[in-house]
Amino acid sequence: MRPTAEAAVHIFGVRHLSPGGAKHLLDFLDELQPTAVLIEGPADATAEIRHLTNKETKPPVAVLAFTADLPVRTALWPFAVYSPELQGLQWAEANGAMASFIDLPSSVILALQDTSRPSTELEHDTAPGSGKAGEPSALVTGPDKETEEQKAHGDASPSLYSRIASAAGEHDYDMYWERNYEHNASPGAYREAILSFSAEMRNLSEGQEQREQPIEHAYNYVRESYMRRQIRDTIAAGHDPERIVVICGAYHAAALADVTDYMTDEELASLPSRSTKLTLMPYSYYKLSTMSGYGAGNRAPHYYQMMWEAMVAGAPEDLPYLYLSSVARLVRSGGTHRSTAEVIEAVRLAEALAALHSGSAPTLRDLHDAAQTLLGHGDLSVIAEALARVDVGTAIGSLAEGVSQTPIQDDLNRLFKKLKLEKYKTTVASDLSLDLRENRRVSSTEAAFLDLNRSILFHRLSLLGISFAKSQPSGQDGATWAENWIIQWTPEVEIQVVESTLLGETVEIACAYVLREKLNECRSIAEASALIKIACQCGMASQIEEGRQVLQTLAVDSRDVVEIAAAARELSIIIGYGDIRRIDTVPLVPLLEQLFLRGCLFLTDAAGCNDEAATAMTAAMNELNAIALDHDDTVDGKLWLQELLHLSERDDRNPRLSGFACAILMERGAITAAECAAEVSRRLSPGIPADLGAGWFEGLSMRNRYGLLSRMSLWEQLNDYINSLLDNEFVRALVFLRRAFSTFSPREKTMIAELLGELWGVNSEQAAEILTGELKEEETKMLDDLNEFDFEDF
Amino acid sequence: MTEQAQLQDYMRLPAEILYREELEALIKADKGKIPAGWQMSPRSVLTFIVGGKAGKTVITPKYIGNTRLIEMAIATLVTDRALLLIGEPGTAKSWLSENLSAAIYGNSGLVVQGTAGTSEEHVRYSWNYAMLLANGPTPEALVKSPIMRAMEEGGIARFEEISRCASEVQDALISILSEKTISVPELGKETGARKGFSIIATANTRDRGVNEMSAALKRRFNIIVLPAPSDLETELSIVKKRVGEIASSYELQAAVPADEALLKVVTIFRELRSGMTLDKKEKVKSPAGVISTAEAISLLTNSMALAASFGGGELTDEDLAAGLQGAIVKDDDKDKLVWKEYLNNVMKKRGAEWRGLYQACKEMNE
Repeated sequence: MRPTAEAAVHIFGVRHLSPGGAKHLLDFLDELQPTAVLIEGPADATAEIRHLTNKETKPPVAVLAFTADLPVRTALWPFAVYSPELQGLQWAEANGAMASFIDLPSSVILALQDTSRPSTELEHDTAPGSGKAGEPSALVTGPDKETEEQKAHGDASPSLYSRIASAAGEHDYDMYWERNYEHNASPGAYREAILSFSAEMRNLSEGQEQREQPIEHAYNYVRESYMRRQIRDTIAAGHDPERIVVICGAYHAAALADVTDYMTDEELASLPSRSTKLTLMPYSYYKLSTMSGYGAGNRAPHYYQMMWEAMVAGAPEDLPYLYLSSVARLVRSGGTHRSTAEVIEAVRLAEALAALHSGSAPTLRDLHDAAQTLLGHGDLSVIAEALARVDVGTAIGSLAEGVSQTPIQDDLNRLFKKLKLEKYKTTVASDLSLDLRENRRVSSTEAAFLDLNRSILFHRLSLLGISFAKSQPSGQDGATWAENWIIQWTPEVEIQVVESTLLGETVEIACAYVLREKLNECRSIAEASALIKIACQCGMASQIEEGRQVLQTLAVDSRDVVEIAAAARELSIIIGYGDIRRIDTVPLVPLLEQLFLRGCLFLTDAAGCNDEAATAMTAAMNELNAIALDHDDTVDGKLWLQELLHLSERDDRNPRLSGFACAILMERGAITAAECAAEVSRRLSPGIPADLGAGWFEGLSMRNRYGLLSRMSLWEQLNDYINSLLDNEFVRALVFLRRAFSTFSPREKTMIAELLGELWGVNSEQAAEILTGELKEEETKMLDDLNEFDFEDF
Repeated sequence: MTEQAQLQDYMRLPAEILYREELEALIKADKGKIPAGWQMSPRSVLTFIVGGKAGKTVITPKYIGNTRLIEMAIATLVTDRALLLIGEPGTAKSWLSENLSAAIYGNSGLVVQGTAGTSEEHVRYSWNYAMLLANGPTPEALVKSPIMRAMEEGGIARFEEISRCASEVQDALISILSEKTISVPELGKETGARKGFSIIATANTRDRGVNEMSAALKRRFNIIVLPAPSDLETELSIVKKRVGEIASSYELQAAVPADEALLKVVTIFRELRSGMTLDKKEKVKSPAGVISTAEAISLLTNSMALAASFGGGELTDEDLAAGLQGAIVKDDDKDKLVWKEYLNNVMKKRGAEWRGLYQACKEMNE
């Protein structure tokens, strides 16, 4: 089966998301009229081609391969409208040519991923949800290998790609690529350039790769020899080699021309394999732009779509006008006026910048810089959002109905099985109580933490908006280990699960994605601390860390003690009870320290508030005090007492809060009885306005009542104070004192009465009788008079 | 020889004289297309500013930092737009404007130095009043502004500190930039701009005593914002170079601070300025005032003077702490808290090398 003219197949090297490549490819196909179009992509996905070229399919879409069993490995081949591969498939469909994918089948690719993972892709495991785990090594090839290269060589030595860029006088590789390949309009030039580029590149880097990344190198070799085998098979099937076009990543272009060395049957049989499933799934430009490992067309999919459309319309020179007017429109709709004259000048500047690099048209970078100068008036922040929207776009692909069988459904079924939840997958609602503590009566770890893992899954599902399990308040107050859920499987739940495919391939990855999105949007520290709590409940350790960073960032700008204290309390609870969820909370401790420190520093400032705000402040002070006590080994308790002392001594803050600070100090034993007595007599001296004195006393009496009741000297001073007041002052003070005592329980009131009775030499029983008995008529009248009390200006 | 001796008497020389040889070499070696009114191609201008080679002559870099910004500045001037350089104090705006004019036009001397007292006459033209009274309005009695002269010659005029001028004076530029003529109604004539005419203006963003620029005027400029040095190494080398120079020219009797002290000061400044620790892990609150590279330099020289005059001639942590306190805490209450937080949250955790400075700063900030 050795064909004679085996070297004659036409190789067309491309960058995977390249409008220039797609345009040149179409021209090339039209000219050559091949009978077979072979494309770098998993061979077992050939059956999906008819779905890809279906009229109802709207790119961006992706071919997704995932393993049927654990650990889930996924690989993704995304296609945008300007992908040369997709254009090639569509051309083949329209012209009746045979089309097939010729790369290793996904079963082998995913199995090989496991082999190479420990050395090259370790970081992917630690970052679920970034979409990285699904990064197809199949597409990370050729020029797109930039990031891999940089990773491998570290930042110290510039990568080969940035060296190429600087040798060409460009600022980065993307600029170099766009200028030299995407803008290269002369017929045939693209293909020629890539072939020689590929050959040169391999000469330069192959030896080094073989030394430094032997696994990567071997992997490429295996793939290429499989592709050569496929090409041979195609020739053997009767296609004229002259009329076969192979579309592959630029890096492989030089290696596929000669098909004499190919994979034998034995070699093929010896490759590892895992059972995999393939499906098409809708994709989004946003996901495309956040995927790492891609080069052109990756960071700005919508921009490249605009470029593609301009090329198809035969007017690529319109692109700068189109792009900058779109940015200007968005800036205007954002409320900032920018004139047409400025857009014109921006186009001129972009073209001058391109000319400075002897380019024929501005690159995206040139357009960005021109937009910043003219439309942003030098300031990027004005136009940043508009740029992002024009660059990335919001397009989401769609597929004909029933094409997609998503991995997240698989994942969920697997989880149900593992957590013994299958019997609950009915439309009948049922209750489930969970005990998160370790079950010590069973032997395996999995069984011991069954309920904990169930709880994690339920929390994750509710985070994804999948209404399978609804949380019920726990019966026992404060039992952090108990949870009650109502679970019910409905058709809506099924739909919600399918919809969450776009968020990630597994429940965990999707959750990580959702949490990250929420953290990005989070604007207040209350929200951030709530998200940290959710991350804890969902058992997402790395998102706790991200949440910590977001909270830290937000906390620096907050001077609101109430907010800070609430967030600190939330963290304190997580730190205190985190071990029940088997979450490492140590990284949160420094943040708690910081929040606590801020709470202390701004305490005195924040205490200068009115009585309404003071209520929230007392709660905040209580929380901070609780934290100081719970975490005295980490937080700066000394500073807290010092700040409290400061506040209690200040006369110009809210008197209630000063009093409250004094009460905490007394309770903590930070001031002596004598100091306290001195402070009481100072606060309750005749010169002080009645509302201030009484307000302070109100604050003092809000904590530690029995401590107060046991101090006779205090009541003597209060007594002296009231005696010293003139009538109208007394009425004023009465309002505040009444409020202060209103929160005392009858028993406490009785105790006060007894104390005062003792002081006045009245029989304690008589006093108590008066206090607890019904009001007499004249007393009622006196109280009614108080209703008409003129509050004047306070 | 005599010319050389005379030149040495000046405190500083204009760029076109200082770098005359480099400019001549560039013009000689130039192969690019030269825009009308320019003396060299845009590529050569770029080489002049960022350094490189012209034939055998080595061109020294005049601006260390983002090359892309320089490209944008040059591209702006190619499209005959006026250029506005904006930045915080001490980001080499005037230096760049001088060198650009020297390279493109060969003369950086057509300058309007903007102040609150600059009047419209400085922007357009005024009269020699003795001649005006004697002969009436004649072309001889006309005193042209640097901008008007640049228009006639097709050259580049510089407008320094444009935002310090009153808005009315700024407004005089609007029609000049859009119509590219200055009319002199007294003589019944107009001066039109020849090809190559442009204006490079500079303005401060965060400073007292600057006026807001009108949208109409901003629209007539391409605005480029010059940033503070982008990384620690760049800033460290700038500070080190300048501190050494100042120490020798003022003959300060203290040792030039050790690299370690420089590194600490620059680190603190960068972190407070960017509101982020260098490892980007933690956010830091920034103080209210500007803390530029120039201030880091003066802080260090001050500390040196302090050490030389009142200390042992060796820069101690206390000297540095005093300098830092002065530079950072300007708006008393708030900045003090910012500084305290920084000390507690960041510096305290930096380990033994920072302990001395931390203690000194903490005491100073009490």
